[in-house]
Amino acid sequence: FPAMGAMEIEADNTHLQRKHSLYRSLDEKFEIQKETYRGQQYSQIYFARLHHMRTLLYSLLPNWKPHLPVCTVLGLEEGKECIIVGTLYKHMKLKPTILDEYSKERSVVPLVKPHNFIHPDDHLVLEDESGRVKLGGTVLLPSKYVTGIVVALHGKDSGAGDFFVQDVLEAGLPPQIEQALKSSSIAYLLLGLGVNNPLPQNRMNFYHPYGIFGEDKYVVFVSGIRVGSNMSNPLQFQLLVDHITGHLGDVKVKLHIEQEQSIAAQIVHVVIAGNSVEIPNGLLNGQNLGSKEQSMLSEPIKELDILLTQIVAGVSVDIMPGPDDPANFSLPQQALNRCLFPGSSVYNTFRSCTNPHSFGLDDIRFLGTSGQNIDDLEKYSEATDKLEFMERTLRWRHLAPTAPNTLGCYPFSDRDPFLLEECPHVYFIGNQNKYETCLLTGTEGQSVRLISIPKFCETGVVVVLNMRNLECHALSFGTQFGT
Amino acid sequence: MASTASRDMKGFYRQKKSGGITKGKTSKASTSKKQQSKSATTLGSDVAQTPALISHGALDINDGYDENESVLRQFDMNMAYGPCLGIDRLARWERAQKLGLNPPKEVETLLREGKVGAQCLWDGRV
Repeated sequence: FPAMGAMEIEADNTHLQRKHSLYRSLDEKFEIQKETYRGQQYSQIYFARLHHMRTLLYSLLPNWKPHLPVCTVLGLEEGKECIIVGTLYKHMKLKPTILDEYSKERSVVPLVKPHNFIHPDDHLVLEDESGRVKLGGTVLLPSKYVTGIVVALHGKDSGAGDFFVQDVLEAGLPPQIEQALKSSSIAYLLLGLGVNNPLPQNRMNFYHPYGIFGEDKYVVFVSGIRVGSNMSNPLQFQLLVDHITGHLGDVKVKLHIEQEQSIAAQIVHVVIAGNSVEIPNGLLNGQNLGSKEQSMLSEPIKELDILLTQIVAGVSVDIMPGPDDPANFSLPQQALNRCLFPGSSVYNTFRSCTNPHSFGLDDIRFLGTSGQNIDDLEKYSEATDKLEFMERTLRWRHLAPTAPNTLGCYPFSDRDPFLLEECPHVYFIGNQNKYETCLLTGTEGQSVRLISIPKFCETGVVVVLNMRNLECHALSFGTQFGT
Repeated sequence: MASTASRDMKGFYRQKKSGGITKGKTSKASTSKKQQSKSATTLGSDVAQTPALISHGALDINDGYDENESVLRQFDMNMAYGPCLGIDRLARWERAQKLGLNPPKEVETLLREGKVGAQCLWDGRV
């Protein structure tokens, strides 16, 4: 049966073929199967992060302020202007600490927490292996920063016990691999030989990645489907499935059929960014489950599998775990187990992926999460909108700077997988309150499409991206009118 | 039992100067007090000593500490290679190598030979 490509849709004797894209998974650094836990603490991952970012920042210093000496925190001399590089720590008055939970009476109901823990008294501290120093001055606004970012600071020891900051250098957007406008057929043959992209041999000779130069190919992003919750409307998701698989189309007007279905035939990939199921909460309270409760527990997943099978039969799908999915809690979340999807995992178009998820389609690099990294930033810092948080993570070259401080994270000992080595072309986050997008440009010609994917169960909205020009628009499957 | 050990400790154990990190103070053999040497490397405990060693007064106060161990402890303490707790010495050496920090080759040779402690000096003590 066809591998990843053609799905024929019969419509008045016109066979529509689905477009095809070369897929490459780049998730290897987010997998933790090969890691062994030897009792290490988080100091190891912070060391790896500091070392990597400091080496990078040192290489940028000659272009920034070459005349200033670089010191370590312990080597600061009073009044001497210099540059120091280290990890930022933000001391926050309102940040919940485990000790607070012990000072009050233990209660079953969690203490009500404010949505955002910012306070005007928050201050920043810079730390490296030798020591830490409190940061003063008005250049660094604590409300914009969080613990875990590595920066270079120009300033001097004020003599009052803090470091007066005069200027700050962030790493900036990482370099971006240029999109090849003219494909190199040799490069694509080589890509096609990779294990992840088994193209049938007879297709290779005819395959040209862009076909006609500049044709439209679409990627659909959806998140927060929440099958099994009260909020999710099965009709909405079924409409989405029908649209993607090309079953929607007005039979009365021939033109319409071709239009709607031909749009659907241009969808080459679907990404589901987390929170696809909602397991009924009341069941997971430690009590033994009867058979009725056990089937209630597995109903949402079974329903999701049935829906997914319909999609994977026609187009490749990546499903990522989210904060409420049956996957591990700490980042990087590992792929949802294939045994949860007995129906859809049979298809090779079905891919269960990690969160964060990184992949390449043709030569466009995608990177995204189910939203935890940005949601955590929102709790501990301020910005005008989610896109600004996303931009900051790119400029800091770190996907989840608050991990492991306030965001659960695996204690890697020799690397930090969230460091961004290269700039993606498309950067998305799932499970947000509304659809937002913008095109971010960098100083070295980088261009990134930032996408905030709204929760489908609440909004009925999915995001559609055109790979030809990185333009994106929302597609609404709302079944309510006039609200 | 320790208390019945020979009153003349001089003949039974060798006093060895401990250099580097440990600052042990070995008791004087000249006194005839029933005193056992409290080696800093064992933090004063003789839990690791077999009863036979104790009754003959020939405590293993070296506790596996020699020049090789001293070199490795310097490696553990060097902040440039990152924290040493919770990671095997060899893994830490390999990480330093991977990050381009050029850790000393002799440390690697010592660790691969296998006759030295695989864990850092704080292991099991903090």
